[in-house]
Amino acid sequence: MNGVLLALITTIPIGIGATVSALSMRRISVSAIEGMTRQPEIAAQLFTAMLIGMALIEALCIYSLVVALMLAGNIKM
Amino acid sequence: MEENAVIHYMPYIVIFNFVVVAALLVVFGKITTSRELTSGVPGSRQNVGEFVLDFFVGKAREIGDVKAVTVVAPFLATCFLFILFSNLLGMLPLPVLNNPPTAFYSVPLGLALCAVAGTMIISGVFNGLAGAIKHLVWPNPLQFIAEITDVLSLSLRLFGNIGGEHMTLVLVMTAVPIGIPLILHVLGLIPAFVQALVFTLLTTSFIAGAVHHEHEEEEEHHERLAEDKEAAKSEIERPPVFEGEPATGIQSAGQASPG
Repeated sequence: MNGVLLALITTIPIGIGATVSALSMRRISVSAIEGMTRQPEIAAQLFTAMLIGMALIEALCIYSLVVALMLAGNIKM
Repeated sequence: MEENAVIHYMPYIVIFNFVVVAALLVVFGKITTSRELTSGVPGSRQNVGEFVLDFFVGKAREIGDVKAVTVVAPFLATCFLFILFSNLLGMLPLPVLNNPPTAFYSVPLGLALCAVAGTMIISGVFNGLAGAIKHLVWPNPLQFIAEITDVLSLSLRLFGNIGGEHMTLVLVMTAVPIGIPLILHVLGLIPAFVQALVFTLLTTSFIAGAVHHEHEEEEEHHERLAEDKEAAKSEIERPPVFEGEPATGIQSAGQASPG
């Protein structure tokens, strides 16, 4: 299974992964900004918590990116 | 021709940059502790060292066990500083030092294995060998698979962010050598700090989960319940505050109705 078919199939994992992770991060950033608006004095803690939440969800997107890269053959571990 | 040479020498470049990052860590340690630490006004270099270490000693204290701080805090600080310096090595304009070691999967895999092995060793130190094995097996016989997925998630997160950035940079620089790579470098600074922080915080939470017993958590829970009961009792003894207001509320409602 080579050539054009493999190139087309390579876009599926990263497409689904990025879309779903972006839709999940929407909720995190909205609630972080609303919390910072209500209580500006704990904005630093909220920012830290938001970063950690985003990094954890971003990791799932990166797993699908690694799969896409391995399919594209550009990476050899 | 040059690309074949780079691909051929890449493992050696990775090892060389690894040694460079280790040397940078030693130099950083020497610089921040170069004068006497306990007397006189702290200078700016000592301030930097204290700022960095204070964060990790605080995180290690949050684990709960006081004996754990001297064991855990240097481990966390080493993880964070190694990953941070290694990610920032990709920002340099020098030809060979340009490749951060965390951009190649073997280095984040090694770091993640060290972190999880360190977690198991620390749980062995604090709970004994039987406690460490019980942590791997007890609430769920397949709990050791969580350790394996921890290794995979830590390593893939770090490799994906930094290695993906590096790959993008290499591809863009073969197309457009001037201008756009600068934007990518600037945008790559944020994941450099965030990934180091997330790696360290996740290692901290793994260590906290490995060190805590179940009966210690119950004791803390009972202590908190007892404190809450005492606070509730002291509140009941105080007189209630809102005594006059319901009357005024009815009066104002009565006055409002004819209008």
